[in-house]
Amino acid sequence: MKVDAPALERATAAKATSASGTESRGPLAAMVLLSDLDSLIHEAQDDRARARLRKLGFALDGLPRLLTARQRLAETADRRWVQVYERVRQRYGRGLAAVRERVCSGCFVTLPTTARPRLGSQALQICESCGRLLYWT
Amino acid sequence: MTQATVVTGHDLALCIPDLRSRKKESALAEMVTAARELGVVAHSELLLDLLRHRERLGNTGLGKGIAIPQARSSTVLIPRVIVARSPRGIDWGAADEAPVTLTMLVLAPAEWSDDAYFGLIARTASATRLQRNRQKLMDAQSLDAFGAAWREAAS
Repeated sequence: MKVDAPALERATAAKATSASGTESRGPLAAMVLLSDLDSLIHEAQDDRARARLRKLGFALDGLPRLLTARQRLAETADRRWVQVYERVRQRYGRGLAAVRERVCSGCFVTLPTTARPRLGSQALQICESCGRLLYWT
Repeated sequence: MTQATVVTGHDLALCIPDLRSRKKESALAEMVTAARELGVVAHSELLLDLLRHRERLGNTGLGKGIAIPQARSSTVLIPRVIVARSPRGIDWGAADEAPVTLTMLVLAPAEWSDDAYFGLIARTASATRLQRNRQKLMDAQSLDAFGAAWREAAS
């Protein structure tokens, strides 16, 4: 595999200096990042998880920055989907579930073959069984 | 154009013996790109965003030239540890200010439990705790030797 390191450095530097950029990639990307960010925040807030990471030598002092980024992302994402996400998250702990082999990883229900979105589609879907947002991988 | 070779070196690990990037951001991007090429990640840009947020939470440089960035994400398809070596060192901003020469990127799917996820991070950290293991990884001359050194350190 060929990797052009200088070009990669330029590209990543440009991306890092731009505003989040996630919202410009579509609503699905924003919701996936929001879900992952919530998982990360949970790790930083949970006493047991914090203790385990600190024992390994990791610093976890940037939680306020993370909460700010989370708030900003939630504000810029599509409000309708954020509301659905928040409602399901309060009920189940996670508001978005990846679809693995046509199975919702939240409730483990097999989804119909027709449910799969077109390749590259940014359309969001909701699991008819558990109500979580679906992320087809 | 430089060349980075990526092979499977361990049950759960992918090895990059010669990381080209010198900066943390681009080193992470190089590893995520490798993971994407090998079908470990569905959307590399989302994963990279999450890794940036993880670094904002706290630097993942542990000192002694070791960094263990980590992510539990919906975009990760299969759990993997990307083991990368940078002989020249990467400016990671670790507490001891030493350049990072060994980076282990821990990737896990979002649905992994805390116990499984932190267990994988802990096993990865313990693999490089001993100086002799770190030295073997740094001294490995070939891709196979690097993979074997990691296998030995992680066992």
